Amino acid sequence: MSSGVPMSSDYDRELLRRYHLEGDHAARQILVERHLPLVRSLARRYAGRGESLEDIEQVGAIGLIKAIDRYELDRGVALTTYATPNVVGEIKRHFRDKGWTIRIPRGLQELNAQMSKTIEGLTGSLGRSPTVAEIARELHATPEQVLEALEAGSAYSPMSLSVGPSGETTADPLDTLGAEDEGYERSEERASLEPALHTLPPRDQEILRKRFQEGLTQTQIAEQVGISQMHVSRLIRKSLARMRDEMAPGMI
Amino acid sequence: MSPEAVELETPSGLEWAPVIRLVVGGFADRAHLRFDELDDLQLAIERLLAEAEAEDRVRLSFELVDGGAVRLRVGPLNEQSVAAALRDSGRGGEELNLRRVLDTVVDSFDVEGVRDGKVVVRLDKLVPAREA
Repeated sequence: MSSGVPMSSDYDRELLRRYHLEGDHAARQILVERHLPLVRSLARRYAGRGESLEDIEQVGAIGLIKAIDRYELDRGVALTTYATPNVVGEIKRHFRDKGWTIRIPRGLQELNAQMSKTIEGLTGSLGRSPTVAEIARELHATPEQVLEALEAGSAYSPMSLSVGPSGETTADPLDTLGAEDEGYERSEERASLEPALHTLPPRDQEILRKRFQEGLTQTQIAEQVGISQMHVSRLIRKSLARMRDEMAPGMI
Repeated sequence: MSPEAVELETPSGLEWAPVIRLVVGGFADRAHLRFDELDDLQLAIERLLAEAEAEDRVRLSFELVDGGAVRLRVGPLNEQSVAAALRDSGRGGEELNLRRVLDTVVDSFDVEGVRDGKVVVRLDKLVPAREA
């Protein structure tokens, strides 16, 4: 036995052992309290979406408790690594189940609905990505309206992340509970950024590789993958944010 | 700073990202950036603010510099978190970290003005001479 303060992960493992093998509920409580800062850190990323931070933290704490209860001693992965996707998943499920959606003015919705096809059309005719002014002229709108409509299209809703502007859907595993659990099992075995890439759906991995390894433009990727440029943009944003969520804090 | 520069100071936090994106978009429109170039700038700022710790408020500046580039400055950010996020893993670009993202979406970036453990990150996006 080493002298001095035990390493954090060693202490967690000891507490987990005591809880799971000896039924020591006091050990479970200590684990929860030790990792509440992790829950608070993850919860802060979802603040400002119509829920108080306190409520989001409470939801995240449920994910932490589930992770502690589900933890398997023989896997040998740090609790922080295993708990992070559980906490994040619980928070995301909470927002999804509430049917939370930002209200967008109808005019902006309609403009956004035309945006993707307009951009695709102009890209084809110009041979390059259009400017905001060119998009505005085509839509008989002002550049400011175009920018607002683009922003409205980025507004979070349970659908917006996995449905393209033409109704094209992606099979986003995060939108189904079973696949979420599958993702957690994969992510529990990883503790660095690169492996987090493998928790993404194959098509999203492909898009990230094309953009950040092969250096293709979004327009080129859209053509190759068969979706709109706006959808490529949304998927890249979502994937990068999700990869960061999969990592334990402080591992960068 | 050039007379055509724009400065924005906002609270930090994800909920203010839409405000920042709108201002980036407005500036990009004035600079005649294309949609994919605008998207690159928005992604660069978004990832930088997500990865690097900011104070309670963050200041962004946008300007067109001689030679045709859009220059953005973002700060103050925590020096250590920026260093960690921008570290070169030495794995030949295999790691998809903030450095990799910025290498792809902007033409150059640098860390400026280290003071009291805070830094400003400068991002440059070249704008080739083109018709208005």
